[in-house]
Amino acid sequence: MPKNPGYRNNNNGPRKRQAQLDEQNPVVQAFRSYATELDAKHDRHERIIKLSRDITIESKRIIFFLHSIDSRKQNKAKVLEEAQQRLNKLIEVNFRAIALELRNQDVYQFRAAYSPGLQEFIEAYTYMEYLCNEDNGENSKSISDWSALQLIMQYEVEAEKEKPVQDVGDSSMAGEEETAKAVEKFQFFVDPTEYILGVSDLTGELMRRCINSLGSGDTDTCMETCRALQQFYTGYISLNCQRARELWRKITTMRQSMLKAENVCYNVKVRGGEAAKCASFDQKPAEETDEGFF
Amino acid sequence: MSHFVNMEVFSNYQKYIDNEQELRENIRIVVREIEHLAKEATIQLQVIHCDLTKIDAACSSARKQIEACAEKYQKLAALVPPGQYYRYSDHWTYITQRLIFLIALVIYLEAGFLVTRETAAEMLGLKTKHSDGFHLDIEDYLLGILLLASELSRFATNSVTMGDYERPLNISHFIGDLNTGFRLLNMKNDGLRKRFDALKYDVKKIEEVVYDVSIRGLSNSAESKEQPKVESAE
Repeated sequence: MPKNPGYRNNNNGPRKRQAQLDEQNPVVQAFRSYATELDAKHDRHERIIKLSRDITIESKRIIFFLHSIDSRKQNKAKVLEEAQQRLNKLIEVNFRAIALELRNQDVYQFRAAYSPGLQEFIEAYTYMEYLCNEDNGENSKSISDWSALQLIMQYEVEAEKEKPVQDVGDSSMAGEEETAKAVEKFQFFVDPTEYILGVSDLTGELMRRCINSLGSGDTDTCMETCRALQQFYTGYISLNCQRARELWRKITTMRQSMLKAENVCYNVKVRGGEAAKCASFDQKPAEETDEGFF
Repeated sequence: MSHFVNMEVFSNYQKYIDNEQELRENIRIVVREIEHLAKEATIQLQVIHCDLTKIDAACSSARKQIEACAEKYQKLAALVPPGQYYRYSDHWTYITQRLIFLIALVIYLEAGFLVTRETAAEMLGLKTKHSDGFHLDIEDYLLGILLLASELSRFATNSVTMGDYERPLNISHFIGDLNTGFRLLNMKNDGLRKRFDALKYDVKKIEEVVYDVSIRGLSNSAESKEQPKVESAE
């Protein structure tokens, strides 16, 4: 039976078709071409999902790694450098691969496939930026917005694939092909909505940093992160948008994170720096119940 | 440190979604107009279930509504920025499927064959490839065709009621082809698959009608047509 090997296909049941498929039938011919087109679309979707999953995993690891920064260990510069390198690698390799898949496609068609990876990456990237700017005081740079991220996701490829395969044997074409080897530019499209959703996850990391700093007795950091959290929250509740259930859910989580951080700051103030170390134990379970990402 | 959170990001995003909302509003207006036309055509085509002589008239008036839809799709195409079809497509997928169903029904009633995606797209003034611009999504086309199957199973029953015993056979062959066609597709676990799974009930319903008609000898061609079918099955 001429059936393509497909994933999760219930058509490949034990029932054998008694009659041979009539290939002359116009319906069969038309559906053959529809099948090819659907398969191409599904395959591309699957490939992007795989690439996105890799980005999600690596981004989560980078975030975890960034949490290992501890004022008592004096490891901040080293950790930040490595995290930066790993993030760059994601941009240069993984996002480039997705951008290649999406070239000449409608980026919104495959949005569901790459959105988890992109959001997680934005979370990791902005958290890294936050940590880089933490100690710069008044001179600190502000968070990259989506257009800044868009700028670092620009790629180039030598447009050699443009030539059809049958030209390979033609020697007269060879010279022409070399001159035609123009550099083709493409980019990974950073959707502002994905950016806003990604940054909303950052607040979960800030809350964790706030609590961890309490553990290491770094009360200034507690205050700083809490303030940043409050500012983010103000920004997010200022947004007025319908049809954004996902964002609304994230804002609710953000509020929880902010309340936890504010409680930490309260404890620092009331009990003083010394008691803060004890307070950190109270916060431990709370830290586990809330995962800042989805 | 307080500079890290840049409030401009939020005001820019607000502008961005305000623009998006506005565009969505405009799209919704056009889609509503298309829905209105499609409803008209649906109503006109209902007559096929109670008066077989009015089929031709129903088809030609339905065609007028469909032609009018093509103009509206031009409007939609002008509204949606290039390369952002799927950003807004949730507004019109449903109605496009309905229209594909109506087109397929009209073509089947007039000519007796399955409308191709190319023809259907052309009738709505749409492209077939995403790279050419505002197009007919393949899944919308296929989902529309599946809607046709359930309408035809109803039509098979009603044409017997109205004394046309040959028609169910024709419908049965048509749906059989359709079923074969859909079996060539590799389905994912999505909406298309779900609706395809319902196709077998339509097939069953039509086969029952054909059975009732042929076992009682109501159809002349029923026996002569059944004969070669049995042969080819062996």
